[in-house]
Order: sequence, then structure tokens, then C-alpha cells
Amino acid sequence: MRTFRRALAVAAGALSIGLAATACSPGNPDSQAGGGSGSADRITIGTTADVLNYNPLVGNSRTDTWVTNLMYPRMMSMGMDGVRSPYLASKWEYTDGGRKAKFTLRDDFTWSDGEKVTADDVAFTIDAVAKEKIGVVAGLISSYQKSTVISPTEIEFQLSQPDGTFLENVGFWMPVVPEHVFSKVGSVQKFANDKDWVSAGPYKLTTVERGQRYVLERMENFPLIEGGPKTKEVVFRVFPDVNTEALALRNGDVDLIANALPPPLAKTLEGDSKLKLVKVPSLGWAHMQYNTAREPLDKLEVRQALAAAVDYEAIRRVALQGKAVSSNSSVLTPTLKQWQDPSAKEYAHDPAKAKSLLTGAGFKDGNGDGLFDGLSLRMIYDQADPNISKWAQLVRDSSKAAGIEIKLEGLERNTYVEKYTARDYDIYAGSWAIMENPPANLALAFKCKGFINYANACDPELDALIDQARGQLDQAGQKGPIQQAARMITDKVYDNVLYVEEFTIAHSAEWSNFLVQPSELLSIVNPVSVAQATKG
Amino acid sequence: MTTELVMPSGGDTPPPAAAATPAAGGLPPSESVARQTWQSFRRNPLGLVSAGVLILLGLVALAAPLIADYPSGYGEEVLAGPGAGHWFGTDDLGRDVFAQVIWGTRVSIVVGLAASLLAIVIGVLVGVAAAYFRPADLVLGVIVDVSLSLPVLPLMILVAALAGPSVPTLVVVIAVFSWPEVARVVRSQGLAVVPMPYVSAAHVIGGSHLWIIRKHVLPGVAPVVAVSVVLTTSRAVLSEAGLSFLGLGDPNSWSWGTILHQAQRSGSLATAWWTTLFPSLAILLLVVATTLLAVAYNDARNPRTR
Amino acid sequence: MPAGARFVTRRLLRGVLTMWFAVTVTFFLLRLLPGDPALAVADPTMTDELRAELLRDYGLDRPLAVQYWEYLTQLLHGNLGVSFRQNQPVLDILLERLPWTLLLAGSALVVTVALGIPLGVVAATRAKGTLDRLIQVGGITGQSLFIPSIGVFLLYVFGVVFGILPIGGAMDDDVYGLAAYGSIALHLILPCLSLVLVQLGSYVLTLRSTLIDALGEDYCTLARAKGLPNRKVVWRHALRNALLPTTTLVGLQLGFLVGGAVLTESIYAYPGVGRAIFEAVGQLDFPVLQGAFLMLAFAVIVANLLTDLAYGLLDPRVRTS
Repeated sequence: MRTFRRALAVAAGALSIGLAATACSPGNPDSQAGGGSGSADRITIGTTADVLNYNPLVGNSRTDTWVTNLMYPRMMSMGMDGVRSPYLASKWEYTDGGRKAKFTLRDDFTWSDGEKVTADDVAFTIDAVAKEKIGVVAGLISSYQKSTVISPTEIEFQLSQPDGTFLENVGFWMPVVPEHVFSKVGSVQKFANDKDWVSAGPYKLTTVERGQRYVLERMENFPLIEGGPKTKEVVFRVFPDVNTEALALRNGDVDLIANALPPPLAKTLEGDSKLKLVKVPSLGWAHMQYNTAREPLDKLEVRQALAAAVDYEAIRRVALQGKAVSSNSSVLTPTLKQWQDPSAKEYAHDPAKAKSLLTGAGFKDGNGDGLFDGLSLRMIYDQADPNISKWAQLVRDSSKAAGIEIKLEGLERNTYVEKYTARDYDIYAGSWAIMENPPANLALAFKCKGFINYANACDPELDALIDQARGQLDQAGQKGPIQQAARMITDKVYDNVLYVEEFTIAHSAEWSNFLVQPSELLSIVNPVSVAQATKG
Repeated sequence: MTTELVMPSGGDTPPPAAAATPAAGGLPPSESVARQTWQSFRRNPLGLVSAGVLILLGLVALAAPLIADYPSGYGEEVLAGPGAGHWFGTDDLGRDVFAQVIWGTRVSIVVGLAASLLAIVIGVLVGVAAAYFRPADLVLGVIVDVSLSLPVLPLMILVAALAGPSVPTLVVVIAVFSWPEVARVVRSQGLAVVPMPYVSAAHVIGGSHLWIIRKHVLPGVAPVVAVSVVLTTSRAVLSEAGLSFLGLGDPNSWSWGTILHQAQRSGSLATAWWTTLFPSLAILLLVVATTLLAVAYNDARNPRTR
Repeated sequence: MPAGARFVTRRLLRGVLTMWFAVTVTFFLLRLLPGDPALAVADPTMTDELRAELLRDYGLDRPLAVQYWEYLTQLLHGNLGVSFRQNQPVLDILLERLPWTLLLAGSALVVTVALGIPLGVVAATRAKGTLDRLIQVGGITGQSLFIPSIGVFLLYVFGVVFGILPIGGAMDDDVYGLAAYGSIALHLILPCLSLVLVQLGSYVLTLRSTLIDALGEDYCTLARAKGLPNRKVVWRHALRNALLPTTTLVGLQLGFLVGGAVLTESIYAYPGVGRAIFEAVGQLDFPVLQGAFLMLAFAVIVANLLTDLAYGLLDPRVRTS
């Protein structure tokens, strides 16, 4: 509504400012606004893209997540090391040898239209996800059968087999949506949820001006913050160019930049006394995966040669400006301390070894151009990712020194999605945002026909190890088989983990009291952090 | 960014004597005209300097391997300012910006020239056909009108994004959206040539269409084409820079746009000014020189400004 | 005036034909390029039934020819379709961006013309003088500037160093009444300035060369011979004729201003149509792309038509040719 009025006013203003000012100037919907009543009327957050989808179960871009996270609660929140903490749920447990799982909910969450948040909402949400196979959550809850609402604050799930990953998956990955709104729309997956929002997070979306701003208003009765969220209004402002966004932060037009800064930019902002930089560990990793379904990448020696041709140290030191740590070539990253395998060792950068491996595999350099004949590989990546497009060049150049030609294909986002969905590449370069639960994640990423199995790996031995871990109900039991699986992934080069990034998030020094959570999706724009932040 | 330069007129209205439209009549350039043009051109310092700059840029492109090493790998000094070791400073991987600009000259000029030549060939064919075969004029005219009315840069973005980034893609995309300009100018010049008495005379003595086109029409439009080549090249260079800047360039080669794109992506546009200043200057130099050359050439051909 | 009527009808018909052609070209261009629109509509994780249902909803399951026919008939009813990504009519999406684009393009155009005419006159009347050369070089330099570089520079200087202009966006939050217009005007200054810089050159150069020609025409020589002061000859007689070709530039530049300002709108975070197009490319949102292309084509075709008609009415030679 307000958008339209503003647009109208602009058009009119272009014609006749004087007349329009009285006739149809943008009205003030809230007489208190702009009154300067105290220090924290508004926090302005910069982002580089518009919201694509307001449906929290479907939307998956970063901006989608930041905005909908403020509106829809999850059962669990997450600490710095990936360990879960209570959010909507206060307690959770497995019973019946892992065939049943149970959540106990808080009783003081309320939807913005006055309805209570109850176990029925949770049951509705998980049934919709399971039935319509919505997004990544559906892949994570494959053992789900049905749910029973015991009381408004208690819900129990029936599982097809003991699954020790179930509660954490549902708890962290599944936002809870209001049944009384989402049940009226037919297909939940198709529901755009683009107006009249009903939320139960600390903020509620009220105004959308595409290409410009998203305004969220405080929900006074949000129970996790004593006395409700501190700041009245949260505004996300869209800056397509990160350079402009950084300038806006420097001159105070923006209080916080939600997206992680490219490392060179982070370096230059370090000296600015008006800004504070926050370090946020990643819950994922950056990696290359070799398409094992294609020749010659089906040969282990070739994959090993490729891994030996990468200068890991240089990627972290130069391309990432030191804002990354080694994961010792293991999918169990140092962020997840409770899973990490101390015996893991990074692939050595050794061009000579790469050459001898390839010679051993039958490759020759017949024409003497320094490159092995018939070994030209296509590597795809999202050209909009500032880090990957940088290290991709380093990988290309260092591989050339080992006699391997890599052709970079920095693709526009959609072409990239199309290619990786069809597994149409030799090498896939990308990064995971959140891989916080190894037994669940490794199943998706490495089991035969896994949804995100970009290496096209299909190794019965590996599948068995992952399944064995998933059958265990506690982390202690899962750890053994998972570490074994991770070692196998490293040895067979099903994944080449390059580094774990340390994100830099910048905010104005006038603001404090943020709560840091891991990953770029949570960082300091997670709901509790935004709600408890104060100015001055 | 701006692909519009000196614009010819719309529809079938008389063309204004813009820079791309020669004011002199439709006679094929005779030797004396050429000499007069050259005499006049020689007295225009802007034209001479521009020609010199273009020759210099061409030499840089040819001799790139002699001037600087191909920029690859990485360096330890990341985003270092201009200094003795690195005349133009270094980029966000510590690579020498001077070397990038030198090697970028090569790709930028090759893309510019190739796209321009392709556009010229299509444009001249369509333009001459429209001028010479009147029935074809309406159809070709509408095609040209459509092409000119569609937003060029967004369309280029669309095609480049979906076709995948590579130098040949860029060349074809830029050419496909540049030829209507040429066709329009060639057509209006052709319309002035075709009714000339010597062309009718050629009909009377039984010359074939092809022969007449080759002997009379093509030479008649040649001066416009010459100007078009220059202007289309500079526009193609700008388009290439714009597309590369938006991330649609070829990541396996260096062009000026690629350098700018990498600077933008690193978020250092406002702080590491050297990463954008020098490639921007290179673009500026090339485009200004080509445009001034075209203007000077037109002034020299035009008896009123000669 | 039958000749005049015939001329107008012919031009109108040609405009309609051009528009139809533009619809057809954009429709098939979008569909024949690699890039699967089904990806934009349906997630790869979806069940096959839902995927099929979504494709059916958007009419993507039918043969291309049927889709094309459907699109044409809908278009005649003023329906541009529904966005693949935003679940909103394309027209609404475009109309939300259009006022900003009109404001930006309009103000850039007004300033350009206001500066371009005097500069062009000065250059033409002092042809080959130092001032002429300066104006030429200046105009051409402006045209050759790379907008993102100059944009960040301007933002840095005026936004961060002097702190007098806002950084990005079209207006501030929560400003109402007159303050809103003030805010809009402040946000407009830098993007408008950038656009003026890059297009001023073509106006100045076109005007310069047409004016030089006009000044050489018989009527100007005659006017001068009659003892009219040179200033009057230039402004009263020559300029009036030289302006006509310059006005056609307006029509042609329109497409660039509205759709081609992608880089300007990105760097200044301005919410115009150009950025909407760029984003729609990234999202494979074909209906929005097509709607935007058609809207721009329509604007240019109408502008050309109007200038052609004006031209024809003013210059009888055109009508009969």
C-alpha cells in the first residue's frame, strides 16, 4: 500500500512538486515515527539482494533467510560450535530405542494475530514438508512417519527406523509456520506468503519496497528478550554493489552489513574507528568435487593428482587474506570440534607428485607443451561468489604447473544451478553454508544418488559407514563411523575441502550487544542478536 | 556503458548530418576528394593525435609479451599501491595491474574489432539490400526498427548470461546487437547513392545487380562504413567492458572489463583506486581516440568544415 | 490533405508491425536460448507431480506455438502475465519500478538538453577553435567514462568525504511531505549527474554537426547578407532546423536511458527498471523480462513515431518520399 502511494507521489512529484506536496504527498502512517524517542528507533541492515521468496519453508537465498528468520521461530538455535540450544522448544529426547522423538515447546510464543504457537503448528509444518517434499528439510527427515500432538506444548514423532539425526535436523532446519494461515492456501510449497504476514519471531514484516527496502516491526511480546526486542524497527536496505554498501556503512547510512565482506574489503575497513568487525566461523567449507562418473576422473590417481596440484596454503593466505583455516582436507571441519579427527592431514601441494601420478595413469605430454594430452577439465562455479572466483584462478594456474589444463566456467547463478543439477561438469567448485550435523549431511552429500552428491560418488562401503552412524542415537556412538567415513572421503578424494572461512561482518561502532552465532546465515543477524542489540 | 554514441536519425526521415553521416553527396570518392580530405585531416591536431594513440594501442596489443609477463598465479603484495615494483599497483591476488592492462589491451581490441567487423558485414549487407531493392526495404526497415527499439545492454546481458561466458560469445553477442546501427546508416547513405544518374546509367547499359552494387553502391557507402568501423569498435569495447564488469566476461582471459570486474568483486573500488583507474583510463583513451578520429575524418570530408 | 493522412497511416501501421515483431522476437529469443524456465518455476527437489502442476500453471507444458498464441491474445487484453518468481502480475512489478526510472531518465534528459544546446551552439559557431575542440574532447570523454568507476568515486567524495549526499537508494526511510521530495531530490543528484555525463556528448556532437551544416545553407547566408547579426542567425534560423535531428536522438536515447542504465542503477542502488531487468535475468524470470523489453520497445517506438510524425508535418519533403 505504502509502496504504491510513494510511487504515485514520485510520479506526481516529477510533474509538479508544489501541487503534489499538498495533494498526494506520502502520508505518515505512524505519527510517532521519526520522533527520535530514544536511541534505538531503527536498525538499518545492508544486503546485496532482494528477498526472492517470503515463504520460510521454500526461500533459500541469504536475504530470504535473514528476513524470514526474524519472523518464524525454529525449535532450536545454535551455539558457536554447532551445538543446539533451546528456542521454541525447551526440551527434546528420543524414546523407544530411537523410533520415537519428542519435543516440549515453550508456552509463551504468540503469533502476531494473537493465536498461540502450539504443537499443532509444528505438526502441520512437518507434515507439509514431508508430504510436499519441500526443500532441503524434506531430505533431512527421510525417517519421519507421523506426528502425535500430546498437548499444546508436546509433540511426538514416529520414525521408520532409529535416526539419531532427526531431532537436530527438524529443530534447526525447519521454521515453524502458522497452521491457521498456511493451511488455507492449498499447496504450501506454492504459497508465496507475500503479504499480510503473521509471525512469531522478534519482528514482523510490514512494508516491502522491492529494490529498496524491507521494513520489519517489533513484536512486543517476543518471550526470549526481557521486555521485548530493544529496537522498534528493522530495515533491510538493498545495495546491489558491495562497494556502495560499504560506503553507506562508512558514512552511517547503514548500521550493519549482513553479508560477509570480501576479505580485501574487510582488510581495508579494519582501521576504521567508527566500525566494529565481528569474526564469524563458517559451519560449512569451500571445496572442489571431481565428477567421478566421468572419465578420467573415475580414476583415483587422476583425482589424487588434481588434489596434489592445488596450493592450499596460497589460497588461504592470498585469496582469502588469511581469513580462513585449513580443514586438513577433511569434511569434519575444525568448527565442529566435537567431530574433528585429529589424525586428518591436508593433501600436500606437490606438482611433481601430481605429474608422476598422471604418468602412472597413462597420460603423456606428446606435443611437449608442458600439459598432458587429452586432459582438459571444465570447472564450474558461481561467478558472483567473490572468493571462489578468486581461488578458481589460483587452482587453474597451479594445476597448469602440474601439467593439467583447467578451463574456468564462471557462470551466472541460474546457469550454474542448471549445470550442477544435471551434474554437467568435470570439476564443481563451491561452498557449503551449513554442514553442522555430519551424519545427516554426509548422507545427502556422499551416499549413492544423494541429493547434493556432486562428486557422483557411489561407494557401498561409504554408504554403510554413514548408515551405521545414523543408526546411533548419541554423538558418541556416531563419531567413530563418521570419522571413518570422513577418512575414506579424503583418501578416495570424493571431496577436496580447501578451507573453512572465517567471515567478517561489519557494523557501526555505535551498536553493541549483538549475539554471534556461526555461519553467514546466522552471524549477528540471527533473531536473538537483532532483538537484543542496543545503540549507544 | 553507453552504447549510444553519435546517433543517426529514426525511421525513414532524412538523416541528420551527425558524425556518422557524411555530408558530401553520394559520389564515389575520387582521388581529388581523398587528397583534399587528407590535406584537411592533416591540419586537425585532434585527429592526428587520435590516430597516433590508436596506433600506439595497437602496438601495445601486438607487443604485449615483450612488455609484460602474462599475469597469472599470485603475488605476496596484495592490493599494493602504484610504485617502482608495480607501476599500476597490484590487485587482490597480488598480481601486477600494469601487466593486466597491457594484456587486456589485446583481448579488448580483438573483441572490439571482431565484433565490429561482424556487425559491419551484416549491417552493410542489410543496409545495401534495403537501399537497392526497394521491396525489401519495408521488411528490413522493420527489422532494423525492432532491433533499435529493444534495449541493447539488457539483451546482451541476457544472451551472454544464458550462453555462458567466453570470448566468442561476447563477440557474437555484441555484433548481433550492433549491426542495426550500421544497417541504418548504410541504408540512408545508400538511398542517396542509388538514384544517382551514374547508377541509372549502369542499369541502362545492362549491368547486373551485383555488378552495380559492387561497382557503384558499395564505393558510395564506403566512407560511412569506414566511420562505422571505428565507432562500432569503440562501442564494442565499451560493451565488452560492461558485460565483463557484470561478470559475463571470459574468466580465462584478461580484458579491461575483467580487471574492473575483479576490482568490483573484491569490494575495493573505493580504496584501491589503482585497480579501477588504469583500466578505466585505457578504455577512455581508446574510445575517445576512435570517436575523435571519426569526427575529424568527417570534418575533413565535409567541404563546410574542411 | 490525403498525402498527409496516408503518411500518418503508413507510419502508424509500421509502428504496429514493429511492435508485433518485437513481441515475437523477444518471445522466441527467450525460449530458444539455453536456460530452462522450468528451473525458475520449480525447485529441483520438488516431487514430479508438483513440478508438473507448476509447469501447467504457468503454461510451460504446452507447445511453444500455443504458448506464443496465448501470450499474444493475453497481450491484446493488456495482460503481461505473471512473474515466475514473485507471484505477482508483471505489470505491477514494472509499474513499481517505472516511476523511479521516469524520474531518473526524465531529469537526466532535461539537464542534458539544457546543457547540450548551448554547448553545441558554442562548438558549432566556433568550429575548429580551441573552445570547439575542448567541448568535443570533453563531450567524448564523458561518453567514454565507465560508470561504476566514476560512480564509486562520486559517492566516495560527496557521500563519505564531504558527507553532503546520501549513499545509494532513492529516498530515506520515514520522510513525509516536503521532506520526502527533498530526500528524493538529494538521492537523485549523483545518478542523474552520471547519466548526463555519459550522454551529453552525443547531443553536443550531433547538434554541432547539424548546426554547422545549417549555417552553411542558403537561407543563413541570405540572412547574414541581409545584415542580421550572427547571433540572431544562429539562434533564430539555424538552430531551429538543427534541433529537429537532435530531437530524434531523444527517442533513440530513451531505450538506453530506461533499460540500459543497469550499471548506474546498480552502483547507486537505484530501484529502476534496468536493475529489475538484470535481476530478472539472474532469476530466469521470463515474463518479467519480456514485459520489460516490450515496455521499453513500446516507449521507443512511440517516441520515434511521434518524432517522425512531427518531422513529416514540419518538413513536407518527407511525406512524399
